[in-house]
Amino acid sequence: MMKKFFYHGCRLLLAGVFLYAGYLKGVDPVAFAGQVAAYDLLPYAFNYLVAATLPFVELLCGALLLINRRVKPALLVLFALNGVFILALTSLLARGLEIDCGCFHPGGAEGDAATSPQLALLRDLGLMLAILGAWWFKPVNTPEVADD
Amino acid sequence: MNNYLPRSRDLLEALVLILVALAAGLSLNYQLVFKSFAGLNPVVVAQPTVTASDDSVGFPEPVDFEDLERLLNRGYLLIDARAHQAYRNLHLSGALSLPLGEVDTQLADFKTKVPLNTPLILYCNGFGCPDSFDLGMRLLAEGYTRVLVYEGGFPEWRDRGGMLKSGDAP
Repeated sequence: MMKKFFYHGCRLLLAGVFLYAGYLKGVDPVAFAGQVAAYDLLPYAFNYLVAATLPFVELLCGALLLINRRVKPALLVLFALNGVFILALTSLLARGLEIDCGCFHPGGAEGDAATSPQLALLRDLGLMLAILGAWWFKPVNTPEVADD
Repeated sequence: MNNYLPRSRDLLEALVLILVALAAGLSLNYQLVFKSFAGLNPVVVAQPTVTASDDSVGFPEPVDFEDLERLLNRGYLLIDARAHQAYRNLHLSGALSLPLGEVDTQLADFKTKVPLNTPLILYCNGFGCPDSFDLGMRLLAEGYTRVLVYEGGFPEWRDRGGMLKSGDAP
């Protein structure tokens, strides 16, 4: 019973976070490309490629988690994606760049609305725990396993 | 324990999931991606986030990478509208720093260094970044007469091999 509670809690939390983040980035890919560019990691055109596609990965994974279908593949993708976010934020900290992470403000935010790389890194580590929790606590009799 | 390890089917479905998302993203944003890889400017004109209250205040004209060298040879001065930390890390060679977020505190000092008749080219992070346009409108309102905006900004300049500098000096 407790396992089920944790599983659905983690699943719904992740669904909400990634649907929200994917939607905000997906409606303004140009602004999001600017935020990706601020990380100073990719060549010019590749910032647009990431901005055009990454929100849809988040949206699709969030939707699958919400409807409780193909949960493990969605968690695997989010695990990899979150790993990339953590590496990117770590590189920001290593280079001393204090930019808004662009996670929930695709055009970047200023002042109180901005999320520092340190805070974003903590949040991503928390999301990583939720991903691992959802994976770990996933009951074996959920629909996709029953389909096997 | 096996339940906690990804099965090959999970990995395959994860791959399919990524491919579906990539296809959706590329089909909805194909023009943006195509133009950026073709070296065209995917954004026509960035929208400023502030509106000029005074009708006499103009809107800075955009210029592209091809025009930049010619204009710089004609005496235009580059102004970096990004945060000072980003400027210190790397900036276009010869550019002065005037971050949009610090314009209220730095403008008086800036005006003593840069006369009002100096032609200016502003830039920020490209990709429709509105900071250079917002700063341009502010400088036009302050009396600068010739203000242009390089829309490709720092990322395009860097990726096209333009000369860069780090530190506080232009």
